[in-house]
Amino acid sequence: MIESAAPVVVTSHLSKWYGQVIGLNDVTVTVPAGITGLLGPNGAGKSTFLKLITGQLKPNKGEIFILGERIWGNPALYVRIGFCPEQDAFYERMTGIEWVSALVRLNGAGEREADERAHRALEAVDLLDAAGKKIGAYSKGMRQRVKMAQALAHDPELLILDEPLSGLDPIARRKTIRLIKEWARSGKSIIVSSHILHEIESMTSNILLINQGRIVAEGNVHQIRELIDTHPHTVSIRADQPRALAREFLAADDVLSLRFEEGAIVVQTAKPDVFYARLTELAASGELGSIHEVTSPDDNLQAVFQYLVTT
Amino acid sequence: MLASSARVFDLSLGQMLWSRRSVFLGFLLGGPVVLAAAIQLVTATTPFWRFSVNGARVSGPGLFGMMIWLLYIRFIVPVLGVFYGTALIADEVEDKTITYLFTRPVRRGAVLLGKYLAYLACTTLLVLPSVVLVYFLIVPLGGGRVGELFPSLLGDLGMLVVGLAAYGAVFAWVGARLRRPLVIGLVFVLGWEPSILLFPGYLKRLTVAYYLQALVPHAMPQDSAIGILMQVFREVPTIATSLASLAVIVAVTLWSAVRAVEEREYVLDQ
Repeated sequence: MIESAAPVVVTSHLSKWYGQVIGLNDVTVTVPAGITGLLGPNGAGKSTFLKLITGQLKPNKGEIFILGERIWGNPALYVRIGFCPEQDAFYERMTGIEWVSALVRLNGAGEREADERAHRALEAVDLLDAAGKKIGAYSKGMRQRVKMAQALAHDPELLILDEPLSGLDPIARRKTIRLIKEWARSGKSIIVSSHILHEIESMTSNILLINQGRIVAEGNVHQIRELIDTHPHTVSIRADQPRALAREFLAADDVLSLRFEEGAIVVQTAKPDVFYARLTELAASGELGSIHEVTSPDDNLQAVFQYLVTT
Repeated sequence: MLASSARVFDLSLGQMLWSRRSVFLGFLLGGPVVLAAAIQLVTATTPFWRFSVNGARVSGPGLFGMMIWLLYIRFIVPVLGVFYGTALIADEVEDKTITYLFTRPVRRGAVLLGKYLAYLACTTLLVLPSVVLVYFLIVPLGGGRVGELFPSLLGDLGMLVVGLAAYGAVFAWVGARLRRPLVIGLVFVLGWEPSILLFPGYLKRLTVAYYLQALVPHAMPQDSAIGILMQVFREVPTIATSLASLAVIVAVTLWSAVRAVEEREYVLDQ
């Protein structure tokens, strides 16, 4: 991995509040080059932190330096940054290639160059076959991937990805994780947020733990991991044949409980790694039909944060 | 700034043309055409019927002038300015697509400017054909000569573009600066402007319509009570004053809108 010594993000006493609500509270942090995971339950302040470091919000207090420069009111810096937001929002009537190309043109590329870059980016996220389809007709996974394509199409030094694996099926998840690691190997720095430790862990061991607007821990993932493993992990799987999946899971030692919801099965597992590996194999084999979406509520992570805060 | 605005313009024009607002715009602009077609039909099928206002017969060109002033300048153009101008940034915020524009190496002001230019192109592309259709349906009534009056049509079209530019800029600023911009905009164009134009004094200079009325190449009908009242207090600036004032309105409000967008934070609902 090519890593420069300079940190990609430096914040000093960074605070942001919305009226009476504190979004981020006195955060002083240095994010090194490479992949860094931003981990925290929903509402912890991850999105506020990412919006501040991408210059969408102005801090009420404190300072932010991205790649050595201030970000607020400094649009030239976006040449070096790619951002994949969490929200599922698009110009639905545009095709994937039109949309990515149009956004690359905003970076100053000419029409031909923008088309070429968009083409390459869509190829990188394995979406070239659907490049000519309207985004409105894309599946959740395709929408997630086209969002990533627009973030990397202009070849930025720093990629900031807000919940990039949310809603992806197991195969797309595996591909995306591989892609993120490849980008890091090619010299890019990546900040990726998630509320699922196992997602982050599969990409990097360097994490920032955020809760209630504060960075509660930073550094190596493995110590946190031990805490997480003592709490059951909940996974919701939307699939063609949830009952067949349930039969398969019931035979596994790591599955603690399962229940059915509309078109989905919700599983509690004591060993998330083992469970996800099995799930990916099942999805790849296609034996039990298609698996459309895998999501994980953050109950277990919330429990760990409560533990961290109270001890 | 201009190059960035041109890129935002490219991206926004198609979006604007195919937006839900354009359906509304289609209905709004279809109204005068349907009305003109109905008048044409009634005139063609009823030989002795003539259009009249308060008992006075109105010729085709006169009727066209009334439609331009009452329907387009006093209603359609301001309403379009309100609906599109206040939504230039608000739509992107509501759809949560603003993130993609504000995380590019483009000044936020250029985003607003590019979208304003797209608004102007979109509304012009849709308004002008409607006016031309009405012209060809109405002007020949009562023997009006289409070719002879063509220069005045060009004057009308130019005035409409100036009106769209002025109202769009004013409401781009209102949308960028104030909360509830739509309500404020509608109160301005449907309440403030029509009422304040009836009274003498300087307050009417705080309207866009005051400056636009000097650019109307048609004589307005004077046979209604309001028309007579307006004639009494009529104080119309010269064309040069009007054009200069409208240019100042566009420049100042657009500059203020750009400043507001550059300074403002946009917090998207999660």
